[in-house]
Amino acid sequence: MSQPVIQLQQLGKHYTIHEREAGTMAAVRSLFKRRQRVVKAVDGIDLTLNPGEVVGFLGANGAGKTTTLKMLSGLLHPTIGQAQVLGFQPWKREREFLANITLVMGQRNQLVWDIPAADSFELNRVIFRIPPRQYRETLDELVELLDLAELIRKPVRNLSLGERMKCEIAGALLHRPQVLFLDEPTLGLDVTAQRRIRRFIAEYNRRHQATVLLTSHYMADVEALCERVVIIDHGKILFDGDLAALVKRFSPHKTITVELAAGRQDLSAYGEVIEVSGAHVSLRVPQAETPEVAGRLLADLPITDLTVADPPIEAIIDEIFIRGASNDFSA
Amino acid sequence: MTSLPKARSRTISRLSMSPLVLAQVYRAFFQISFAIQLQYRASMIIWLLGIILRPVIYLVVWSTVARSTGGSVGGFTPEDFAAYYIIFMVVDHLTFTWIMWEYDYRIRMGDFSVMLLRPIHPVHGDIADNIAYKLLTLVILLPVVALLIWLFTPVFQMEWWAVLTFIPALGLSFLGRFLLGWTLAMLAFWTTRIAALNESFFVLELFFAGRLAPLAIMPVFLQSAANLLPFKWLVAFPVELLQGLLTPREALFGLGMQLFWLGIILVMMRLIWQAGIRRYAAFGG
Amino acid sequence: MPPLAGSMQVLRIIAISLRLSVLVELEYRANFFTQILQSILTLLVSLGGLYIVFTHTETLGGWLPAELVALVGIFTLMGGVIRVVIQPGMQQFMEDVRRGTLDFKLTKPADAQLLVSVQRFQIWQGIDIVIGLIILGVAAVQLGGVVGGWQALGFVIALLSGVAIVYSFWMILACISFWAVKVENILVIFQAMYQAGRWPITIYPLWLRSILTFLVPIAFAVTVPATAFVGRLDWPTLLGAIALAIVLLLAARLIWLVGIRQYSGASA
Repeated sequence: MSQPVIQLQQLGKHYTIHEREAGTMAAVRSLFKRRQRVVKAVDGIDLTLNPGEVVGFLGANGAGKTTTLKMLSGLLHPTIGQAQVLGFQPWKREREFLANITLVMGQRNQLVWDIPAADSFELNRVIFRIPPRQYRETLDELVELLDLAELIRKPVRNLSLGERMKCEIAGALLHRPQVLFLDEPTLGLDVTAQRRIRRFIAEYNRRHQATVLLTSHYMADVEALCERVVIIDHGKILFDGDLAALVKRFSPHKTITVELAAGRQDLSAYGEVIEVSGAHVSLRVPQAETPEVAGRLLADLPITDLTVADPPIEAIIDEIFIRGASNDFSA
Repeated sequence: MTSLPKARSRTISRLSMSPLVLAQVYRAFFQISFAIQLQYRASMIIWLLGIILRPVIYLVVWSTVARSTGGSVGGFTPEDFAAYYIIFMVVDHLTFTWIMWEYDYRIRMGDFSVMLLRPIHPVHGDIADNIAYKLLTLVILLPVVALLIWLFTPVFQMEWWAVLTFIPALGLSFLGRFLLGWTLAMLAFWTTRIAALNESFFVLELFFAGRLAPLAIMPVFLQSAANLLPFKWLVAFPVELLQGLLTPREALFGLGMQLFWLGIILVMMRLIWQAGIRRYAAFGG
Repeated sequence: MPPLAGSMQVLRIIAISLRLSVLVELEYRANFFTQILQSILTLLVSLGGLYIVFTHTETLGGWLPAELVALVGIFTLMGGVIRVVIQPGMQQFMEDVRRGTLDFKLTKPADAQLLVSVQRFQIWQGIDIVIGLIILGVAAVQLGGVVGGWQALGFVIALLSGVAIVYSFWMILACISFWAVKVENILVIFQAMYQAGRWPITIYPLWLRSILTFLVPIAFAVTVPATAFVGRLDWPTLLGAIALAIVLLLAARLIWLVGIRQYSGASA
């Protein structure tokens, strides 16, 4: 069993913030005295990643995803706990460490705005001391995988958001890092661009065995890329495992959708009706009872079509957040 | 086909508000400006540094010249220079505007469209913002003036009638400088190189408003040029008035020139504003 | 992998940054003409002021007209150096702290202070450097006399010390943005006080002279190199300039390191 490439132990980050109310009087008062509050952005988490894993880090805004990523890339010192990445302590920011990781942040650019991306790439080539032949090879591979040939010759300001993001990612990978920290890389992009970037990450991971820790609040990112999902809420990890286990554990219901041949009918006797549109009716049914209810429906009614599906994962995640860390899913 | 009744048309430039409503609007603008500026109090203090330092530099330069040429230059002793420049600093601070820098930014960022959607001329918000800044910074400026008086021992020559005349002169200066600056700011509708225009404007001000040197000791050809430009009447005149450098007749003449230039500026402002709005609307804002 | 540190690497980083800045500036060729206009205006103010002063006197604080022209030359030259390389880097740095994009520079295997300091060269501002040199040439001709090797060396050292001092000062001020975020205007302090450098600081009263020497180092940026140029620099002042340069460079480095620790939330 190989060494884990990323390891967190009770890692936490606490902030002190100042608060005041609106209004002129409050503004003047705050010149002299301010109220303080401690916020635990990350509240003691444990996590281990093995080489080549692609792990999705899910959570609402402010859940602690970005803070964790910043601690792992050495940008933030933790308040409590330990972390090791590639055997280094990230916040020591040793050169060897920095030369083997990369951080990509959605909607934030490091490419120079006014000139073509190809020129900006040169800066990274120099900083990372990439030998000319390796640079050529890597660049060619990235251009091919991300379809960048036209794009890197245009000034960055003339690119669309999706094109810019692709160039950002390419620039971030020129030095062939072993560990990729991707912070909401598909944020704000259109569906096509999102898909392309997901496919790229998957292919890159396959080719180079790079370890990827990806944060997102898009389920689609995670479904496409990650076998393993970590859910974080209010600084604590709620779930760490694979998607299938997630669905099974947190979603004790399934959705049965029927298309009735005889038009509209009241099916509330069979289960909780969640949607009716014409002859289509969707029912929520406890997992265990699904085969039995499906059988009864088929036997009792003239049915053109019947499907059984898991509820959308977004709904599952929402449920998790609503019920919080207490695993009360017996209802 | 019967014609529909016309909706009452209102051009943006018509200031058709009663004084009471206008006062309430100004109060609201003041509250917002105060809140914003209090947030940026560090910036305000830093800006003040520049405003205080420039007259002090020229004060020292001319005092040095005076001392090395037998105690006075053109009738100004170092103490006279001190008085002149301290008054200049206060007058300059109370009447200056930075609006010409803001408009370029506003138009580019699209904030200007927001202002056009309000049923009130944008100039009011800008005037209120300007005055709010002056009120807030006066708190710091007054002690600084006291300090400078102690450091440079100026000799003031204020007569009661000059002080009385000074007050309307100051008001006219404020209006004239503000509206002139506002007119300059409108040129941002036509060019993005407004910074170059602004800086040219300030260079003219430097020479012809009595900032580089009191106009009385400038070379004659520059003094003649200064008489033809508004800067002398908008900045140097109130300073000279308070410092007792003018006769009552000259003071009266100066007030007249202030009104004259204010009139010209108002006309220019109206013309450029209307042309600017048309251009802004034509280019989609 | 070839070594990531070392002096050759520093030079390479500066070179690539310079190249990128040139590429950026070439995209905005119109700035060239705007810059020419601004340089002319600034020159008008400097030389116009001198002209008007010298209609009334033969010397100012012991400086002859030609010597004051040299001072204006240094003022313009140094202003150009500041606006070409020091100012753009520091302003970009402060904005990066505010927007969170400084993180990108902190995750690179190169010294972040170097990356931040040389990240941007505003080439067109270099016009002021050229104009400054021309004015110095004119002043040199007017002053006549022979320039000794030692004097020239002293001048170059004074100039370099001045640059180092100004850079460190800007760096220290810019680092304040690690602790207080709304400080974009802090560098305006320097720009406001730099105007005082148009005149030899010896004419200012003691309290102002001290401020312009020790608080905001305008004296070392302009007056000291100018004094060296006209051949009146004494050893103590030159040594003081060198010492101050070294002290401030070290202080800037220290404050940068402390600031980075603060930025990453390291417990003090």
